[in-house]
Amino acid sequence: MKLSLTIDGAEDHIEIVAPAPACRFCLGDGPERTAHVEAPEPGVYSILMDGRSYEARVEEARGGLVVVIDGYRFEIDVRDPRRWSRRTHGRRTDGVEDVTASMPGKVVRVLVGAGDAVEAGQGLVVVEAMKMQNEMKASRAGKVVAVPAKEGATVAAGEVLVTIE
Amino acid sequence: MFRKVLIANRGEIAVRVMRTLREMDIRTVAVYSDADRTSLHVRMADEAEHVGPSASAESYLRIDRILDAARKHGVDAIHPGYGFLSENADFAAACEAAGIVFIGPSAESIRMMGSKTAARRTAVGAGAPVVPGTDRGGTAEEARAFARQHGYPVLLKAVAGGGGKGMRRVDGDADLESALRNASSEAERAFHDPEVYVEKLIERPRHIEIQLLGDRHGNMVHLGERECSIQRRHQKVIEECPSPLVALHPEMRQAMGEAAIRAARAAAYYNAGTVEFLVDQDRRFYFLEMNTRLQVEHPVTELVTGLDLVKLQVEIADGARLLFRQEDIAWRGSAIECRIYAEDPDNNFLPSPGKLTRLTRPSGPGIRLDGCVYDGWTVPMEYDPLLAKLAVWAATREEAVSRMIRALREYDVGGIRTNIGFFRQILEDPEFRAGNLHTGFIDEFLARNRTPQAPPELAAVAALAAALHASANSARPEPPRATGASRWLDTGRGDLLR
Repeated sequence: MKLSLTIDGAEDHIEIVAPAPACRFCLGDGPERTAHVEAPEPGVYSILMDGRSYEARVEEARGGLVVVIDGYRFEIDVRDPRRWSRRTHGRRTDGVEDVTASMPGKVVRVLVGAGDAVEAGQGLVVVEAMKMQNEMKASRAGKVVAVPAKEGATVAAGEVLVTIE
Repeated sequence: MFRKVLIANRGEIAVRVMRTLREMDIRTVAVYSDADRTSLHVRMADEAEHVGPSASAESYLRIDRILDAARKHGVDAIHPGYGFLSENADFAAACEAAGIVFIGPSAESIRMMGSKTAARRTAVGAGAPVVPGTDRGGTAEEARAFARQHGYPVLLKAVAGGGGKGMRRVDGDADLESALRNASSEAERAFHDPEVYVEKLIERPRHIEIQLLGDRHGNMVHLGERECSIQRRHQKVIEECPSPLVALHPEMRQAMGEAAIRAARAAAYYNAGTVEFLVDQDRRFYFLEMNTRLQVEHPVTELVTGLDLVKLQVEIADGARLLFRQEDIAWRGSAIECRIYAEDPDNNFLPSPGKLTRLTRPSGPGIRLDGCVYDGWTVPMEYDPLLAKLAVWAATREEAVSRMIRALREYDVGGIRTNIGFFRQILEDPEFRAGNLHTGFIDEFLARNRTPQAPPELAAVAALAAALHASANSARPEPPRATGASRWLDTGRGDLLR
């Protein structure tokens, strides 16, 4: 199985030649390598490779997967060229921009309404969590076309608060 | 001795206090808000009482509701923990009026030491050194005279101020007048009060505090210092005992300890309390404020003195005399604590509440973990982000640092982001290891440190793990992304891992 990867912003690809536990794989145009892989806990991968023992912890984050090994953090987006289309996050190509919550929390103030003209950097919505307030700002000038955020509502990270055109 | 004690708090400190109470064979009563029904302190307590909705102003800060719960459960005493009502003199007075012992100082001592300005007056009266300043607005001439007397740099501060508004650093006579004008007009705009005062600027100060313990019979000792210079946005994140500076200059412990005791005695203080000092680069120390309660970072003192501060607090509140004198206190080894927060260091330290999907706790030699989390718990968004305090003890500071790094490597919290990895970077920093600490340490660290470059073979391992994880979980149709839930973690192992 061949998969396309984006590792910390760099494009790459990986081919899984034989599945886990006795895994064989090629990263990029490199040679075939072997690794013994087990998942002792959900999202935790014990990988034995070249005589060394690694523990990789994988979590879904906005925009792909976050893999942490020995304190080092990798942001990796995995795509199967045959089956999945590239996932899009936040920014759309049609001149419309979704302003999303950068952290989970409670909407404490909505500063704009549909139809308002906004400047780049203008505060749109204030989200609060753990005694900290965070103002979500417009990344560019435009017109507010929708405000799904409601004062008092709880939002997840990545949830669309305001749409600007 | 008390038979039953209510803990007017939540989170790790409620759990911490309950542990000692249980060891003392005292029944524990938890209070909880809507958000905390399944929190660990409620599960752990012998009895529990609901005190209101999630907002702390309507639950943990409601004196009437806390006292109703105390009466209903027939408690002898209340332990306030830290934060919430712990430094509220009215609460201490209301407890006493209700015939319930407040485990802490008297309401009067809290009033004398609770506000920064009142505490500064008390400290000055007791002869404790404070940062030199004019304390009130004056003319440019007066400001210049002060700066010449105490030396530049000085700091201009708005009398009505806060949050850095109306604050200016001045390095010499030439800049003083224009800085005064600018600070004054900024203060006028921000606070409708143009008055600006001058204070000696302490460059690269250390924050070193003294733990005090006094009984109700006039006996008071200090339990040495804690260095809390590693702060982010004025919030301590790493604390240690001994201070690496004091370890090199042991006479400082006695001098600061005695100054702290003098200040506390001036407020007729009893129970546990902490006097905070700023220390300049010439090792002069200045009174900052007093915390009239148990500190978050008390475990490092407990680790090196072998004392249980909560047990001593309870005994003192019950009228016991201190069974040791100053000369009986010994400090052994070195302890460090990291405050583990639900926050995202890779995203400007934004809060990261949510559900824990995985939890591996560090253990083994010399580890102490004071936490309130468990696998599957949802960290509420209503309260502060402290998940746990990870403390280590070792014979020397060098060994304690290595031990902390080892413990951080074992520590894994999944589902939410934490600062565990960030601590590891700080503890591996040569400046930290050398003990060159000051309150601006983290800002400088962030400015000089780029994300560490991972060894190349780790990238290959990460790519393999990600590929296996993604393909293992892609067998199921992709659910809508709007739910915000993790589809990977829901599905667990998949095809490639069978």
